[in-house]
Amino acid sequence: MKILIIEDEEGLRESIAEYFTEAGNICETAASYSMALTKVELYRYDCILLDITLPGGGDGISILKKLKENNYTDGVLIISAKNSLDDRLQGLDLGADDYLVKPFHLSELKARVSAIIRRKMYNGSNLLLFNELSIDLQAKTVKVHDTSVKFTRKEFDLLIYFIANKGKVVSKNAIAEHLWGDGIDIADNFDFIYSHIKNIRKKLVEAGGNDYIEAAYGMGYKFTGK
Amino acid sequence: MKLLALYNRVNIITTIIVMIITGILYYMAISWILNGQNDKALRVEEDEVFDYVKLNHQLPQVFDSKDQQISFTEVAPNSVTRKFINTKYHNGKSGYEAGRGLISSVTVNGKYYKILIVESKVETEDLIQIIFSITVGVVLFLLLILQIANRLILNRLWQPFYSILKELKLFNITDNLEITQTATKIEEFNELNKVAITMAAKAKHDYKDLKAFTENASHELLTPIAVINSKLDTLIQTENFSEKQSKLLTDLYSAVSRLSRLNQSLLLLVKIENRLLPEEQNVNLHELITELLQQLEDIFQDKRLTITSILEDKQIVANRYLIEILLSNLIINAVRHNYEGGDIIINLTQSSLTIKNTGNITPLPGTKIFTRFHKSSGSDGSGLGLTISKQICENFNFALSYQFLSPHHTFVITF
Repeated sequence: MKILIIEDEEGLRESIAEYFTEAGNICETAASYSMALTKVELYRYDCILLDITLPGGGDGISILKKLKENNYTDGVLIISAKNSLDDRLQGLDLGADDYLVKPFHLSELKARVSAIIRRKMYNGSNLLLFNELSIDLQAKTVKVHDTSVKFTRKEFDLLIYFIANKGKVVSKNAIAEHLWGDGIDIADNFDFIYSHIKNIRKKLVEAGGNDYIEAAYGMGYKFTGK
Repeated sequence: MKLLALYNRVNIITTIIVMIITGILYYMAISWILNGQNDKALRVEEDEVFDYVKLNHQLPQVFDSKDQQISFTEVAPNSVTRKFINTKYHNGKSGYEAGRGLISSVTVNGKYYKILIVESKVETEDLIQIIFSITVGVVLFLLLILQIANRLILNRLWQPFYSILKELKLFNITDNLEITQTATKIEEFNELNKVAITMAAKAKHDYKDLKAFTENASHELLTPIAVINSKLDTLIQTENFSEKQSKLLTDLYSAVSRLSRLNQSLLLLVKIENRLLPEEQNVNLHELITELLQQLEDIFQDKRLTITSILEDKQIVANRYLIEILLSNLIINAVRHNYEGGDIIINLTQSSLTIKNTGNITPLPGTKIFTRFHKSSGSDGSGLGLTISKQICENFNFALSYQFLSPHHTFVITF
């Protein structure tokens, strides 16, 4: 996967790049409008992470327009500090694939980018294969070694989320925000996350699959891609 | 009471009093003059009697003329004092009418007579009546004219005042409408208008500054929060944490997440106040609440809460995003301030949405809870949830109220 991160804030840019850099991924970064413009004119990417406010003469929206003018099919995820519906609608209207508002968890970003790339690469195929797991994203069904396993909606969401972040420790906060939305402020208790995860592990193991999810120091969970 | 009404009242009362006094004086003056004329006629008659007696040494023939009667009565000498009296005049046909009389005396051939000359006053009275009627007519006519003139003139004079007043009533610190200059030649109103315009502009400017500050401050905070968040996400990938370290990291995570929620709430408040979320559409509340309850099912189960919802089909025209925030704020509050095994009752009707929950048995301070950063002790919310809820309701002209109906804390949205 080839990813371009267009973000002027150094700290954020580095963190994203580090999180996305793994075997098989190439991460490039651009810190200004002109740099970003040069890169998107020269190279094609699987996904471009695009900040709306940029220094150097233009904003993310004009980069997006440029991409669409040239009929480039790069996936685009807008990351913006402006939680304004206008921006969001404008971005999506112009052909961005998704929109994420700062601040966000890297695991959330990774899950969204994975979804975009999946849609682009497999051209409408909704099947996500991972070792013995076969997940139909459209029908929301999971098979382990061809055995159907029934998951609730949240368990299903969580499984996809973990697979997108395999090998990473995902914090409980990130999981809670993913499942209930960041507007919902229930931070005092994460017990219900534990029970969802327990259920997923149980169902996978009972169907003859591996136990992929392990707790990480009480801070979160990790989906090991062994 | 309207200024016009008060002015009219004072004006009419003064006019009437002045007119009555004038009327009385006028009446008295005319009566006095006419009486004088009557008396003169009586004196002429008396003189005629005296002349006749002097010449003929006998009393004149008594005859009734059309409006004068004379009678002679023999009385004891010197028992009569000469005086004018108001008396009755007897006319042959229809009885008595008002009259003026003169009592006098004459001595004829050593006999002492009392003379009574009575003259009818009916014509005088008629005259007075006509004069009086004309006067009253003029007074009434004058009053009518005054009334109409006042109404027309004053209404017109005060027109600029009313239009300034209307502008002030419509003035809203949060919208973009300015107070316009009302065209008038009257200096006082011009000045009032100028002051109102300046004041409104200043209020708006200050308010805008304050809002811009809040928005900019919150906005500037987003990036550092985003950096902290991403650095934490990166940090926990570095493996091998002691229990103490992971506890510290967990605390950091929740603090950052609270900070970011607080910041989002502030930005949201500014946005609602700025009416930056104008897209309105039909929102099916029944559907929205059902979805939300489904989404929160595991949280209810975790706290062993009993949820009872009676939902009618109800649509409103509003911004869907804001209504979602409103509903989730109220329902999450009902969960957060509930106890293990408590209950939540949600009732949606055509006119209102009621959310009741069990919890602490002391009522909340009704007005304070909607102010910014008011928190019950032990709450770890942002303290902005209810403020936002209230703002959202005001935005769509709904009313949000709180009541404690033991054992339930009750929030009602009236559409």
